[in-house]
Amino acid sequence: MNHVNATGSDIRFMSSTLAPAGFTQETFDAFMATREEPSWLVDLRQSAWSRFNELAMPSGREEEWMRTDIRMLKLSQYSLSTEVAAIETPQGLLAEGVELGGRTVSVDSHTTESELADRLADQGVLFGSLDTLVAEHGDKLRPYIERKLVDPLYDKFSALNSACWSGGNLLFVPQGVQVEEPLHCLSVLSDGGVDLGKTLVILEQGAEATLLAETASVGAESGGLHCGSIELIVERGARLRYVNLQNWSHRVWHFAHQMGHVGAGGKLQWTIGALGSRLAKVNQRVALTGSDAEAQVNGVMFTQGKQHLCYNTHQHHQAPYCQSDLLYKSALQDHSRTVWRGMIKVDNAAQRTNAYQRNDNLMLAPTARADSIPGLEIEADDVRCTHGSTSGRVDDEQLFYAMTRGYTRQEAVRMIVTGFFQQVFDRITIESVREALGEAIGQRVQQL
Amino acid sequence: MAEFVAVADSSEVSDGSSLLVEVEEQLIVLIHAAGHFYALDDVCTHDGGPLSEGPIDAAAGTIACPRHGAKFDVKTGSAVTMPATSATIVHEVKVENGRVYVRLNR
Repeated sequence: MNHVNATGSDIRFMSSTLAPAGFTQETFDAFMATREEPSWLVDLRQSAWSRFNELAMPSGREEEWMRTDIRMLKLSQYSLSTEVAAIETPQGLLAEGVELGGRTVSVDSHTTESELADRLADQGVLFGSLDTLVAEHGDKLRPYIERKLVDPLYDKFSALNSACWSGGNLLFVPQGVQVEEPLHCLSVLSDGGVDLGKTLVILEQGAEATLLAETASVGAESGGLHCGSIELIVERGARLRYVNLQNWSHRVWHFAHQMGHVGAGGKLQWTIGALGSRLAKVNQRVALTGSDAEAQVNGVMFTQGKQHLCYNTHQHHQAPYCQSDLLYKSALQDHSRTVWRGMIKVDNAAQRTNAYQRNDNLMLAPTARADSIPGLEIEADDVRCTHGSTSGRVDDEQLFYAMTRGYTRQEAVRMIVTGFFQQVFDRITIESVREALGEAIGQRVQQL
Repeated sequence: MAEFVAVADSSEVSDGSSLLVEVEEQLIVLIHAAGHFYALDDVCTHDGGPLSEGPIDAAAGTIACPRHGAKFDVKTGSAVTMPATSATIVHEVKVENGRVYVRLNR
């Protein structure tokens, strides 16, 4: 079997970078030369870079990748961005009409705007570019970064992000501080750009905050690569609401490793909206590390064209009396495909666990495909763990009924799709997020 | 409508073999069987396996997925044996002056 490229120069690639193409030793050295970071961080990057070079690209022979084909991804077309692309920043969706406590904007993982309300800064809240804040508060942040919630050795993408992350976002809320206004992060990709952002959220004991993060591409046809990581640390009794809307263009490759740690009595509500990207491969993990911790994970996915979104979720119960509740809902059009693989892992110490996971798929075209693979791995003997999955089409009788009441076929389909997602919308307590997701999905629904 | 794209010299693909080619950001398996060329999406409709890594039965006009053995008709893309039940997409092929061209059937 041979492999030839019949498109040659047809592949469009317009980089905002100065560095030579590809993630080579030369580009890594040039990237590191631009950094002014403490030696412990340089060592972490060098170690991850070595791992990146050692690891092969994942192949379809591996269980985790056998349903997600990335043979068309050519890392050599992308490179580390050392300059900010001059683009007009698109508007985000999540923060419309919301009074914010702070906001950041990044382009190709270079932070271009950063604001935090003075009253929050006065209480010790840190929010903004992780780059900048590591330089200013390295000693405070070092233990959290060195915890490596996202394992740099896991695969080639986690190693690349660990070695080369830049820009990024940090939210640090000190013990007992309650941040009432949401904070907002918008990450933008230029055409052909690369985003290697890292998000680190730390809520100390008893702290509370809401963070709305979203992504966007500069244009509907612009390509690019995102290889990111998210680490959420919710300490004892803290409460975090975290929303992450992935809205890249349909020409963007999206890889992400995401990890939330919830300490004793802590609460994490984590909502994911996945609308964009050509291909997404996301590992989303939640670990409940102290007793009575709770995690609610909500997922809303809408795919069209030839999009392929793969989400691997993992709910890890490490301590007793914890609850986790995961609900992912997907609607699929055209030739698109989703893969959801979920796992509830209960350690022997995690007695009295209450864990649930569910994935529902609404097939809007006979050519779409959804793979749903729930799993349980339970070592404790006094637990309640359940899971479920459904896949189905729009009910013709519902369509007919709606049309007899005066709706057009498209209006009826849109209404039924909205109703399908209502169960997960009802769990999202932030109105602007509900409205943004509902509106974005409504615009995408085509006539059946 | 998509254009024909040159993907290979006909001599590169001996009868009874296949070649994985890239056409407009899609992976296509180019098959040479019983003197004719065919092009299919390089995807088994059962679980996404790469057909380009599977054996060809030129006489029967089929290519098999290397994972679970599902066979597809190289002319029509239809699934011939379980566990695949739906067709993979077939694309138009022409040979001119020793060059093989593929036009995507979107």
